[in-house]
Amino acid sequence: MRGMIYGFIRARTPYLSNMRSYWFGDVDDGKCTLFGGDVQAKAERVRLIRTSMESFVPLTWETAVTCGACRDRADYITKLREVCFAAAERDIRQQYSGKDAELLQMVRTLDEMDTVINLLTERAVEWYQLRHPTFTRKYRKTPAHIVVKNIREKSRGALSFVAGEIERLSLTRTELAKAVSGRANDVMPNTSALIGGLVAARLMAHAGGLSDLSRMPASAIQVLGARTALFAHLRTKSPSPKHGIIFQHRRVHNAPRDCRGRVARVLAGKLAIAARIDHYRGIADLAFLESAQARIDMTGKVTGKLTGKENEP
Amino acid sequence: MIWIGDVLVSQGEGGVYSERMLGTARVWDPFRSKLAALYHKGTGVEITAETRVLYLGAANGTTVSHVADYADVVYAVEFAPRPMQDLLEVARRRKNIVPIMADATRPEQYVPLVETVDLLYQDVAQPDQATIAIRNSAFLRAGGQLILMLKTRSVDVRKEPDVVFQETVDALASAGFVVQECLWLAPYHQDHAAIVCTKPGA
Repeated sequence: MRGMIYGFIRARTPYLSNMRSYWFGDVDDGKCTLFGGDVQAKAERVRLIRTSMESFVPLTWETAVTCGACRDRADYITKLREVCFAAAERDIRQQYSGKDAELLQMVRTLDEMDTVINLLTERAVEWYQLRHPTFTRKYRKTPAHIVVKNIREKSRGALSFVAGEIERLSLTRTELAKAVSGRANDVMPNTSALIGGLVAARLMAHAGGLSDLSRMPASAIQVLGARTALFAHLRTKSPSPKHGIIFQHRRVHNAPRDCRGRVARVLAGKLAIAARIDHYRGIADLAFLESAQARIDMTGKVTGKLTGKENEP
Repeated sequence: MIWIGDVLVSQGEGGVYSERMLGTARVWDPFRSKLAALYHKGTGVEITAETRVLYLGAANGTTVSHVADYADVVYAVEFAPRPMQDLLEVARRRKNIVPIMADATRPEQYVPLVETVDLLYQDVAQPDQATIAIRNSAFLRAGGQLILMLKTRSVDVRKEPDVVFQETVDALASAGFVVQECLWLAPYHQDHAAIVCTKPGA
């Protein structure tokens, strides 16, 4: 059905240059052909009509009345509104139905929860220090969540409640992280396979969506999330950032310092391809993943000893 | 326009965005709406029960609701889905708003929907605001008016607002518009200017 309407309007307009397509029908040399479809079909039709602004002939409601689309102006506006509502509601639904739309919200929630948990923990520690003047975290490798647990157990009243609340938030955060990772594996299987679901989702969120990420050059993906460093580099003579979010991946941060930039560049190149496969095909491409993994691993292993040129195939 | 003392109001169903009411009149706050600010600064543009308006950058429908109180019909164009949800809700209650989900930089998308209008109102956060106005002026009748709300910071944050303002005025003038009024919306809105033009008669 969709294809039929599309073909019809596209095929006729260029040849019969006098024909004007409006939401209610086609007008050709004063002759009007009413479009018979219901509101939904009209909404669909409006999206498919292609008119160039050069051959623009403004629409009048009188034409619609002559055409038999409506009785008078009030009726014209009523019917036009029905079509516009249907078109807008469908477009909104379409934009929200993208699989990445929910993942985007999940990632942003996750990042905001991290910020909140860190802030609250810092504050709780400061509060606790006030009650225990000898307490310090210096020279102690106690992880933050253990500190929070200790604060909850060793204090009474409001501070204990706050610490308990931080612990609950952390639990929710862990669950959410798992969900993000799982959803990312589903929505962007290739990117997730290369860099892990959580980091893949973060990249996508920073780009603004999967389609935006797929349209990014590798060099942009490489420094995504390193905005401050990038603009400092562009403004002053400071060195360019080697990596942004992708630093979070072990391949980059475990690489020896002198070849981190190289690993990041190769990884970003493969991620750019992966994001495109994810966006346009939506399924894992095993052959691609295998070759990409091999290429990235080789960079990580070899470059420490050899120069860049010898490393090229 | 309707003034109660020095308060600009419009007549219509209230409660759109928890606006203040004076009896049955809805207070149109110049600090929230750029068009209201323009009226407070003094302009010759009137919207009457015969005015047909093409409104680009309708956003949540706050200002649109006031315009609709005065106008015959408002074609409200908005691109982003989230504000569009709010706009649809406003349009459900006001039968003279035609909500159009489309990109104002591509007017060919709504050629099959929009008739010739008397007033083109543009409030978009885009870099090429003059171009958008010129392309959309195809919908404006000869002698009709254009109100362009220029967000200078959207055009180019590095340029001085005055420079951006002058460039836009020049672009409109060279496209054939007769520039009538140019004014800054301070103190109501910072770095925002209003440009009122007329499309020359046939």
